[in-house]
Amino acid sequence: MSSESSDVVVETRNLSKVYRDFWGRQKVRALKALDLEIRRGEIFGLLGPNGSGKTTTIKLLLGLLFPTSGQALVFGKDATDVSKNERLGYLPEESYLYRFLNAEETLDFYGRLFDMPARVRKERTAELIKLVGLDWAKRRQLKEYSKGMARRIGLAQALVNDPELILLDEPTSGLDPIGTREMKDLILRLKEQGKTVVMCSHLLADVQDVCDRIAILHQGELKELGRVDSLLKLRDETEIRVRGLSEAAQAELRAFFDRSDASVLAMDNPTTTLEDLFLSIVRESEARPGRRVVKQEQQS
Amino acid sequence: MVLENALPPFDVWIGPALLFFGVAVAMLAVLALLAGYLVAAFRYGPLGGGDVVFRTLRTAVFDLFSMSPRRIAALAWLAIQESLRRRVLVGFGVFVLILLFAGWFLDPQSTDPASLYLSFVLTATNFLVLLMALFLSAFSLPADIKNHTIYTIVTKPVRPGEIVLGRIVGFATIGTFLLAIMGVISYFFVVRVVDHTHEVEIASLEPIANDASGAVTGRTTLDANHRHQVTIDADGVGSTDTVQGHWHEVDAVKDGDETTYVIGPPRDLYTARVPAYPTSLRFKDRTGRGSDRGISVGYEWSYRSFIEGATLASATWTFHNITPERFPDGLPIELTVRVFRSHKGDIEQGILGSLVLKNPTTGRTSGITTFRAKDNQIDERFIKRKLTDPEGNPIDLFDDLVSDGQLEIELQCLDESQYFGVALPDIYIRARDASFSINFLKSYVGIWAQMLLVTSFGVMFSTFLSGAVAMMATAAALVLGFFSQFIHEVAVGIVEGGGPTEALMRTLTQRNQTTELEPSLTKSVIQAVDSVFMFFMEWVTSLLPDFRRFSDVDYLAYGFDIPPNVLGIQVVSAIGYVIALSAIGYFFLRTREVAR
Repeated sequence: MSSESSDVVVETRNLSKVYRDFWGRQKVRALKALDLEIRRGEIFGLLGPNGSGKTTTIKLLLGLLFPTSGQALVFGKDATDVSKNERLGYLPEESYLYRFLNAEETLDFYGRLFDMPARVRKERTAELIKLVGLDWAKRRQLKEYSKGMARRIGLAQALVNDPELILLDEPTSGLDPIGTREMKDLILRLKEQGKTVVMCSHLLADVQDVCDRIAILHQGELKELGRVDSLLKLRDETEIRVRGLSEAAQAELRAFFDRSDASVLAMDNPTTTLEDLFLSIVRESEARPGRRVVKQEQQS
Repeated sequence: MVLENALPPFDVWIGPALLFFGVAVAMLAVLALLAGYLVAAFRYGPLGGGDVVFRTLRTAVFDLFSMSPRRIAALAWLAIQESLRRRVLVGFGVFVLILLFAGWFLDPQSTDPASLYLSFVLTATNFLVLLMALFLSAFSLPADIKNHTIYTIVTKPVRPGEIVLGRIVGFATIGTFLLAIMGVISYFFVVRVVDHTHEVEIASLEPIANDASGAVTGRTTLDANHRHQVTIDADGVGSTDTVQGHWHEVDAVKDGDETTYVIGPPRDLYTARVPAYPTSLRFKDRTGRGSDRGISVGYEWSYRSFIEGATLASATWTFHNITPERFPDGLPIELTVRVFRSHKGDIEQGILGSLVLKNPTTGRTSGITTFRAKDNQIDERFIKRKLTDPEGNPIDLFDDLVSDGQLEIELQCLDESQYFGVALPDIYIRARDASFSINFLKSYVGIWAQMLLVTSFGVMFSTFLSGAVAMMATAAALVLGFFSQFIHEVAVGIVEGGGPTEALMRTLTQRNQTTELEPSLTKSVIQAVDSVFMFFMEWVTSLLPDFRRFSDVDYLAYGFDIPPNVLGIQVVSAIGYVIALSAIGYFFLRTREVAR
């Protein structure tokens, strides 16, 4: 195995999913021939409007769903292989936790599912509760938690086994601005620790802030894939920032730019926002269904 | 006590049982493999289907060896927490309420109140625990899938088998806990509720006629809806007669000129007889010819067969291992016969019968012992070592009537046109009495095994059915299990009236079970359809547990020690089902998508 392929943590090959009814008739084609590679240490964002196939992708990667065709590999193993879960953490879209347990019991329970000895569980539980800032509410049943608190304990259970790959479904959903900032900082810290993060979110600003690469899905198809900084760059426009430019020079800037005394501070393509990019891709996809808009040249 | 299908000794049972288990599992596995391949081949093509089946089997073997006791314990703990959250302890409240109001619907004048109360508490416990097991096990996993909490479980390194086993262990633990507490409450309830004493009615005491020893007789006061006759000897020691299954010791305490009579607590109210049953029973007809069975008096239930009174008809039981070491003083035998009267006669007196002991080798017999038999009443008698033969010569029980440990006891009915009905276990030697408390504890093993079975069925069905449907399927398994013997008899044609379709047709056309159907195309079609039904019915009843075999209520209520082989068979059978149902649950959970 080459070093490059060993760096691939998640891989999908022609991954498709069709939802069928009781009689086996096709209901929805949720995912169409998705090819993805997610490498070790990167933060990868899955974007798309409702029903675009991003949650289906996450569920296929977790083995919660079985592909209709194609393959989903995690750590080189089939996604339905339970042993991959040893190195994986998952924060679901909602905090699907047992509401009759308190925070300590919850983390201890999930620690036992990783076959951790009692001493390790105790240490890890204390460490994670502190990390997500729930020390003050660790003995309260989860049914008394606010949505933000439930997201925090949900994240803690996803990290209980110190995973190499973390799948986060809407990680900032339900968090207040401070909580959102802390979550984003935590994601960046996880990246610094060499962990791979795959997240899907509707909050485009969050994705823009933390993701290295993104994939945009629409109606089950991959529409865009690449580095965030590259995708957001407007290549047909130039942005110049100057200092000390006289009024005359400003007037003649376009014609006499080279001959003026002004020093050029920056010259680059301006960037758009992820929100603008996202909306333009969705509009394009709706106008021309089936057309892939991936800009391969921008991925380098 | 009726022992219609007595269980064999454990060492005799275990070999064929394991063989049957192995064959049944192998056949089911082949069928499941075939069905799995067909479904996979339909989805992925012939080669792809084979690959899927192979990978599933390979994973199953890997998963089996990767199971972690800590994960199973964690999931069991979660199941217990969930049960407590679902107010399972309400069951206690219902149970205590039932006990509090038991007096409303139990007959206080019953001839055997101890048996009545024991049957009642055990049946109530059994019913409540099975109901609780049914609800808990059938709804748990579907609720987890519906609430998506299962997502955070299956995305951990948890094997499907651990999820199934964890739930079974968890619910069985909470069921065991409930059963233990109900058992303690029940024990004190039955012991306290029938505990009573009486006082001697001094005015009723009078000397016994023709008895010069100074003994007196009289009666007790009416307490707990009954009274006894008392007999007190000249030394002031006495006892009562047996009423409602018990008797009391009586002591006369003299203080100067005043005598106080003290009656003790009820004796023999709760017993745990350890019977030594005969090994064979043979009959003679009215002319004295040998026969395997007696005659039928028209009962559908053929458990007992009958001998005619005042004829040469007799029933002879053979006992083995009768030695002076086991019974140094003699043989305490107990006999229950079914009395069938062809005319009323003296209803108070009972039917006259005789017992004769016989040496199976020499043919030597003891003199006749007569007794009056009342229907379904245990007749206790003690056969001493020193006896007389029919001519009145003294003989020794072991030296003259027992040969190689074998002894025969012959029963005859002496009243003309009356009949005795007997079965093999209707006579036994009361070898010893075991502890009632331990017997009470043992009676909960059967309920525990039933609870384990219902839990396993519930969890297995819940791996692929929704909660309500899983509950109905489990309830169906339970009902089929309770009636499995009857369904099996219908399936193999022992019960007249054909299969379900024929029975329906007979019902609609108002023809009884025994009416012969005219040959016709309709009859052929109905019987063809029924043959398919009956094939499946036979299969299903062979595979489902016979829940009645897991009930030890009769042993306890009728005062018999529950034999260890019965407990062993119940526990091993239940564990066998847990293993098989867990494996089925594993494959259903392994091959289904838990998300939608």
